[in-house]
Amino acid sequence: MNIALQLAGFIRRRYHGVITFLVLIGVWTALTHLRVVSAEQLPAPEVIVTTFLQNLKSGLLGDSLLSSLVRIAKGFCIGCSLGFLLGAAMGVSQTAERLFAPLTNALRQVPIIGWIPLIIVWCGIADLSKIAFIAIGAFFPMVFNTFEGIRSVPRNYLEVARVFQFGRLKLLRKIVVPGALPSIVTGIRLSLGTSWMLVVWSEINTRSDLGIGDMLWSAREGGRMDLVIVCIIVIGVVAFLINELLGHLEAYLQGWKKTYR
Amino acid sequence: MEEDVPLKPEEEGMEKQGTLRVNNLNKHFRSSSQDVKVLDDINLTVQPGEFISIVGQSGCGKTTFLRLVVGLESNYQGEILLDDKRLNGPDLKRGVVFQDHRLLPWLTVEKNVGLGLKNARNEETRRSVQEHIELVGLKGYEKHYPHQLSGGMSQRAAIARALVNRPKILMLDEPLGALDALTRMYMHQELERIWKQEGITMIMVTHDVDEAIFLSDRIVIMSSRPGTIKKIIPVKLARPRDRAGADFLRIKEEVLKEFHLHTETPFSYSI
Repeated sequence: MNIALQLAGFIRRRYHGVITFLVLIGVWTALTHLRVVSAEQLPAPEVIVTTFLQNLKSGLLGDSLLSSLVRIAKGFCIGCSLGFLLGAAMGVSQTAERLFAPLTNALRQVPIIGWIPLIIVWCGIADLSKIAFIAIGAFFPMVFNTFEGIRSVPRNYLEVARVFQFGRLKLLRKIVVPGALPSIVTGIRLSLGTSWMLVVWSEINTRSDLGIGDMLWSAREGGRMDLVIVCIIVIGVVAFLINELLGHLEAYLQGWKKTYR
Repeated sequence: MEEDVPLKPEEEGMEKQGTLRVNNLNKHFRSSSQDVKVLDDINLTVQPGEFISIVGQSGCGKTTFLRLVVGLESNYQGEILLDDKRLNGPDLKRGVVFQDHRLLPWLTVEKNVGLGLKNARNEETRRSVQEHIELVGLKGYEKHYPHQLSGGMSQRAAIARALVNRPKILMLDEPLGALDALTRMYMHQELERIWKQEGITMIMVTHDVDEAIFLSDRIVIMSSRPGTIKKIIPVKLARPRDRAGADFLRIKEEVLKEFHLHTETPFSYSI
């Protein structure tokens, strides 16, 4: 009952998005069944469903996804926490900012493809290099959002801290961290989004045994467009779920905002 | 130079601690291109328990003066002494209420009020927080967040927060400036009640002449560029004061005269 209510609420809030999907699938069905496009170019939706179920049953899809998620977890944790630490240091200390801001600003302009040669020489083409790519991708959004978040804490609040003679720890706990939190959460969001993109990209770039990107590329090599589409849908759905999850995290961390409206 | 005759507070004895003395205070704001003198030879003694208003036009340095006494500005010439001890930076003996309430939006009223206290969980702290919330009339709003409060209520919470450390002097920087006229008049009565109840020294910066007369024992009138004390007008009227009374209006006239606003059309002026 409760679940049904929640589902109904979700559909009411999101039905515009659902309509877009339904229309897309309708057009897709029409195109394939009227033979406007050949089955090699675009398999029919029901073929996709069958392929999806087959691969789900064989366990290949689940194992590939899990393997990618483990990579993402490692790369994201490394990149995100290093990014947070550097961003926080730069936000709190002017010396740290002067030391590191120019360098990080320059390095973030390098597109991820630019790192390929170095990363492959340093980390090989196995798992380590993929984790490195993800860590680099997760690092930069986190550095700058953490830094900006801390710097944008209003000076007025810092004066309140001075008036009450807060120690450094109390200043961080009561004012800096809560003030910077929205921006930090945005950083986490961007960072995790980039990580997910990069895990697929890095698996295509340097192949591995198992991974959703690998699965996609193998399907391409075998001319299995149905499997390619299954992979694309899975990647999209996982990205969507990650984003939803972070939305909830954001709402939870900023409970005080819930009382707005 | 203006002679500074402190008015004796009515109820409390003179031996009470908390005398603020400002001697020959000068303040410059220096930038690479210019040197602006903001305050010029300010002398003022504030007795414990006194209510002082500092009235002046925008830019006369009254807020700078207040910030100097709070300790948020430094680099001045002269002396600012509390009980003959030179002040050095902010301390908990001097509370401050800013024009914008500066409550932290992520903390409830209760937590905001307790911000200046150490050991937030201790029983004594909680009692003190509760007492001060009741003092400013916010009982029942302990768990509310600042954005759920009206402007007047936010300012009450800010006053409670400033008083919770039991400072000797409370500095108020145009605390009611952002409120509508009726709420402001109501807050005047509340402020007077709190001032009496706590027996605390209050120094308020304002540009509202009525507010200054209603609340103050003495009104310090400042003139601009550089900020100097032009005149100190004692207000020896019984409390609570009648805003429409003849004595009130006479003092108002006296204050407005200092700003050349005392003619038949007192609220228009030409440049």
